[in-house]
Amino acid sequence: MTRAAASAATPARDRLAVPAWLLQHDMAMCPCGCIGKRKKGSYLAKTIQGGSKLLQQVMFGEDVAKARGLMQRVDPRVKLLSLLGLLVVAGLSHSMIMLGAMYAATLALASASALPVGFFVKRVWLFVPAFTGIVVLPAILSVVTPGDIVLTLWHWHGSPQGITQQGLVAAGRVVARVAVSISLVVLLTLTTPWIRLLAALRSLGVPRIFILIIGMAYRYIFLLLTSVTDMYQARQARTPGIVRHDRAARAFVGASVGALLGKANQLSEEVHQAMTARGFRGDVKTLEQQRLHIGDVYYVLAVVIFAAAIMIGDHILGH
Amino acid sequence: MHIPDGYLSPQTCAVGFAVAVPVMATAAARVHKRVRTRHVPTLAVLAAVCFLIMMFNVPIPDGTTAHAVGGALVAILLGPWAAVIAVSVALAFQALLFGDGGVLAYGTNVLNMAIVLPFVAFGAYRLISGNASLTSGRRVVAGFIGGYIGLTAAALCVGVELGIQPMLFRDASGAPLYSPYHLSQAIPAMLLAHLAVAGIAEGIVTAAVVAYLQRANLPLLKVNHPGVPIDAASAAAGRSRRLRLRPGVVAGAVMALLVVLTPLGLLAPGGAFGEDAPEDLDLHALGLSKIPEGLNQYNGIWHSAIFNGYDYTRDTHPAVGYVISAIVGILAVGAVVYALAKVVALAAGRRGSANDPAAPGRVRT
Repeated sequence: MTRAAASAATPARDRLAVPAWLLQHDMAMCPCGCIGKRKKGSYLAKTIQGGSKLLQQVMFGEDVAKARGLMQRVDPRVKLLSLLGLLVVAGLSHSMIMLGAMYAATLALASASALPVGFFVKRVWLFVPAFTGIVVLPAILSVVTPGDIVLTLWHWHGSPQGITQQGLVAAGRVVARVAVSISLVVLLTLTTPWIRLLAALRSLGVPRIFILIIGMAYRYIFLLLTSVTDMYQARQARTPGIVRHDRAARAFVGASVGALLGKANQLSEEVHQAMTARGFRGDVKTLEQQRLHIGDVYYVLAVVIFAAAIMIGDHILGH
Repeated sequence: MHIPDGYLSPQTCAVGFAVAVPVMATAAARVHKRVRTRHVPTLAVLAAVCFLIMMFNVPIPDGTTAHAVGGALVAILLGPWAAVIAVSVALAFQALLFGDGGVLAYGTNVLNMAIVLPFVAFGAYRLISGNASLTSGRRVVAGFIGGYIGLTAAALCVGVELGIQPMLFRDASGAPLYSPYHLSQAIPAMLLAHLAVAGIAEGIVTAAVVAYLQRANLPLLKVNHPGVPIDAASAAAGRSRRLRLRPGVVAGAVMALLVVLTPLGLLAPGGAFGEDAPEDLDLHALGLSKIPEGLNQYNGIWHSAIFNGYDYTRDTHPAVGYVISAIVGILAVGAVVYALAKVVALAAGRRGSANDPAAPGRVRT
């Protein structure tokens, strides 16, 4: 019987073949722009695609956090405290050499923690030019940072104006410090599973309510991100022709956010009911008790010695 | 608007935490008291929504990007204290998971986006929407303006925080240690981008969602608007209720405004017109040979000013003297405004009870 059904299905599948026009590549959607007119993806589409990329990134982060490496073995609380300490040290150090030494140390730690160094460097330096490099660039000019002119570009009322030595130093220092700070944070978050990071925050005195909200929001981000993607795809699917950026498009954005909020509100009601049904009374208990190992003590010692060396070196170089 | 680590001195970051932590604690306590166990899932979901809204970065010609925050929206829907928690949780994610906004600068970022923004936005929204019904267009406009002003206020705070860095922290050669831009550069740079792009984005998101909820999900809008009439008809019925003037609130608002505007004095170059002491007058430029007699005679007729020249320490600690003069001045202005508001409230109350036969004072007599 089943065989008969299967043999009957085969010609049927041939007959119901996908129509040719559906298999044809949409010219407008050709990403390389080799045929037809190249269409720039809309800003909305780009951001939503960026969202799914973000998801992948975080998933990858969780993989790395489970790998066996140096930083993964250190207790999250110790890592968090040493991160804060090192961030302050980076903030207080004035010398480019010392900031360079700190950056080199983060690279060494990254490679000791089974992080692909290329990925680590890229992740940090993709941020730095976008957030800092371009912003700081005008600061090298004497208009912003007056001082000893290194390169004269123009004259203003007879006095030379251009790139100043102080400006270069200041801009370089800000970029270096931002790079070191981001590296330190990325190093922590890539080598610590999210749940353990939250537990560490909790044991360092962050109120439980915040931990609970952060933990739940983390899950909802992905859920709501899927909702947004679905809404946007559904809209695209029922929009023939070119997407116009008109009043209707704006109304769509407003309605999407509104609908998202409505969904979110409903979801939170349901989750709350489910939580109270399971005995939630505004408080949570953690099962895992973490102990400090001797390795953590060595790590702390190493960080303290390193930080002291940086501060002393900075002091010597500064005078 | 997220300040990364490295732009602010650790000292500034410490001040940011000193302001942000007590406010966050108050917010947690207040929200906990109001909604009990329900707050955890609600705030978690709203934090996720704020995070998604902040993901939509709009590129700006000066090389940075700007984005809406969604804090104004949450403040309108669930009150500003809930917005404090929702936005600060979203900021915690961005700092820890995505490197957007610093970890040391977290307190400062919370101050700007999770405290200043929702409260300013909510204040403006309440002020503009007034007694309008829940479905009126005035609430949509109020939402837009609230979001716009709130985001702009947050941007102004960022500009001030970045701008004071080169004034306070320099190395021996005069090169700034942290953010290199002066107040006069940082504030316009932040404000232009946010007045022109991000403020509008925040305003549009807030107004569009308020309009959508008016059409499609009125119960959600009702949560934070207890006692507000739903449509124009019931608004007309309840209009006899008077808006009460609260002198304490008015005085507090005026003093807060003065504190926020204080840095403007540091920005303005030069002195004030017509306020020179007689010996500082440029007689030659004015075509005079000596100081006019009347000016000379009556100048300094009042000798017993406590804070002469905005200082009481006789220039031993000019900064301390200046700050104390500023505090005393603001308190004095607050006291005067309080007294004025009290008088106005009393007068209005008397007139209201005279006009309104249903007023309780009348019924009893």
